[in-house]
Amino acid sequence: MAAYLVRRLFLVLFVGVGITFVTFFIAQVVPTDPAVAALGENAREEQIREFRERYGLDRPLLVQYGIYLRRLLALDLGRSLRTGRPVAEDLKEFFPATLELSLAAFLVAVALGLPAGVWAALRQNRSPDLLVRLFALLLGSTPVFFLAILLLDVLHRQLGLLPGPGRLDPYLIPPPRVTGLVTLDALLAKDLAAFRDALHHLLLPAFVLGSASAALLARMTRAAMLEVLSQDYVRTAWAKGLAERQVVLRHALKNAALPILTLLGGLLGGLLSGAVLTETIFSWPGLGRYVTQSATSLDFPAVMGVTLLVGVVYSLLNLLVDLLYALLDPRIRYA
Amino acid sequence: MRQWVWVFIFLVLGGFSLAQDRTQVLVYGGDWTDLITLDPQVVYEFSGVMIADNLYETLVRFEGSDLATLRPGLAESWKVERGTTDWILTFKLRRGSRFSTGREVTAKDVVFSFERALALKGPGSFLFTDIAQLKPGATKALDPYTVEVRIPKSASPQSFLSILTFTIGGVVDSEEVQKNAKGGDLGKDWLTNNSAGSGPYRLVRWDRGNQVILEANPHARIKPKVPRVVLRYIQEPAVLRTALESGEIDIAEGLTPEGLKAIAANPRFKVVRAETLRLQYLGMNMKAGSPFANAKLREAMRYAVNQDELLQGLLQGNAVKTQTLIPKGLLGHNPTTPYKYDPNRARKLLAEAGYLQGLEFELLVSTGICGGGVPCPDVAAKLQADMAKAGFRARIRAIANAEVLATYRAQNHQVVLAGWSPDFPDPDGNATPWADYGARSLAWRNSYNDEVAAKLARQAALETDPQKRQALYKVLTEKVLREGPYVVLYQPAQPIGLSAKVEGFLKNPMMSAPLWQVSKQP
Repeated sequence: MAAYLVRRLFLVLFVGVGITFVTFFIAQVVPTDPAVAALGENAREEQIREFRERYGLDRPLLVQYGIYLRRLLALDLGRSLRTGRPVAEDLKEFFPATLELSLAAFLVAVALGLPAGVWAALRQNRSPDLLVRLFALLLGSTPVFFLAILLLDVLHRQLGLLPGPGRLDPYLIPPPRVTGLVTLDALLAKDLAAFRDALHHLLLPAFVLGSASAALLARMTRAAMLEVLSQDYVRTAWAKGLAERQVVLRHALKNAALPILTLLGGLLGGLLSGAVLTETIFSWPGLGRYVTQSATSLDFPAVMGVTLLVGVVYSLLNLLVDLLYALLDPRIRYA
Repeated sequence: MRQWVWVFIFLVLGGFSLAQDRTQVLVYGGDWTDLITLDPQVVYEFSGVMIADNLYETLVRFEGSDLATLRPGLAESWKVERGTTDWILTFKLRRGSRFSTGREVTAKDVVFSFERALALKGPGSFLFTDIAQLKPGATKALDPYTVEVRIPKSASPQSFLSILTFTIGGVVDSEEVQKNAKGGDLGKDWLTNNSAGSGPYRLVRWDRGNQVILEANPHARIKPKVPRVVLRYIQEPAVLRTALESGEIDIAEGLTPEGLKAIAANPRFKVVRAETLRLQYLGMNMKAGSPFANAKLREAMRYAVNQDELLQGLLQGNAVKTQTLIPKGLLGHNPTTPYKYDPNRARKLLAEAGYLQGLEFELLVSTGICGGGVPCPDVAAKLQADMAKAGFRARIRAIANAEVLATYRAQNHQVVLAGWSPDFPDPDGNATPWADYGARSLAWRNSYNDEVAAKLARQAALETDPQKRQALYKVLTEKVLREGPYVVLYQPAQPIGLSAKVEGFLKNPMMSAPLWQVSKQP
């Protein structure tokens, strides 16, 4: 097991380096000079030259890449061309917002998708099933920006039920930043009003972001459950007169869990890589917005930093899913 | 278990609670993503300059939209003398101005701030080093309340005074900044997210991508009417409008023309138009071999642009009509607009220039947004349609803005649709780049090498008598209008939506907004 873990972690490292290599050289294909992009229309020639020198952009490509890797060994992601700050600092500032929103969206996806999928499978081809399938189709195919603007307009502007964009009511004093997760920071500061407001602010974006995942999850769960429900051992369980709850949760769902788990890992990974549209519409200061902005201003160190972070998070989640397999299915062993 | 679910539901859905009196907080929504620092000597972005302007005071300043009259700031008086080799500017500081730390503002803070600007070499430092030709050691504290600055005779003291109104001349608390400096950075890292100024506000918090919070500086001479300002980052125009309409924000910057129309029609809101000093223009490359080296062709182009329709249609009136190179709002602005859309005259001029079949050329445009909030490709399409009737066949090439700039800088364009904002509120911020080939700016990029125009620009920059200066700019603007490589399209205005409860909001053409003057009714 330990050897397996070491091997997998080594693989994560390998993936990380691969990501930097690909991103770095793709960035060079863009025909524009990042110095010109960063300095704008009024910049003078000397300023542009000095900028290139300061960020080492005047050096040969391989040398630039070598320097990047050497810094990376010291966990230094370089400085952003746009903000001039260490990329790691920027990530520290933007990632918690994404983390908070993704976890909430993930919760929404699981809370809606899983029971809906199970329910639909148990009532196959009857009205609950049709209802779930219809909603899954609707939520899964509604463009995020449309859903987001629609819900904001109705629930916030017209009915005033839920707060607008942002993470906290501007009239509240925000809790001191400790973790960067506003809900958690509010709890740490024992500020119940801020906690409640932060939760309120999470509801809409988490629903919008989580709904597509919920739809996917519902369909996947339904399919996996249908397959398991037709197995002999489930029929036996029914025949033994076990309660529905036991049959569904212990015998069916546990055995349908593997494909669902794989999907969950992928979903969480996707959510954690930042959702540009949801973040933009809800003015959520997360990775998605940071990376789009960095990409449009040709801020390659920032883009590479985000790509690397997302890549590593994905790899680690994959590893976690694989380890959970062994927990769920005793036949699976890692050596 | 079940009880916890109920507790959770109560926490999530149980009523709203508001901690602060709504009239005591001003919420300003907009796209502040260009914000990268609030250090006055480094900041050079629109939103950063606007915010820093509320945190720091300068020796002299402009008030409201009047960019022609200098007013006392930290200096209660000043004088400009002609020395043998230098201009000598002496500033008398007023007593009792205090930083947010409570320390008094003295001459040594001014010296520290100016030297700091020179040492940090921020993106705006060329205003000090190149335009004002200020050298390290040239700023001296004669006594705690008197500062003397010497700049060479070849620099313009008028331009320097105008530059001093800009954030780069913002005075920082030298003790506080030195205390927080590390590794010889002169406090640059610290001042990025902290403030140490004597302005009406101090910076409390900046959550990147989310919000900037300012609070009244308890020691400031100028007390703000609203003690707390929250700048919310809202990028999406539809959401900005929703937030304004729901009362979540008081001021919305960046609404679409349709959004503004709807807001203006609702009595709960109003629209304020901030004039800008930006000019949107066409640049024609006059380099040898280019058709635009021919003066007749450039003249034909001026008759091929339908400025009135562009302003009324696409821009919905959110722009000022102007044709000369100094924008409205600055000394030397020339309001003449002799060119009207006249396709027949353009065709005739084209024929005279030898292009009987008309002319095909490449029009380089950014895929981004042009002045007035209109996508540049839309402006280009309108120009293309009007020009077609006048014999010009424009091939539009829309590429990323950075690439447009790179092509333009390399003189590789035929005609470019571009924008320009002066670096400092002085006519020389336009005159030299537009008219002096040697400055390697716009005139150089368009191969406009006219010694007379360059000389006029230099002479006007150094002229200290406003009337004589105005007269020089009149000659220069007329000349460049007729002969130069530019067709000025419009001077965009920036419309901002406000709640009707907000009073006293203003954004001046240099994009600074004195938020301390704003009040909010219940």
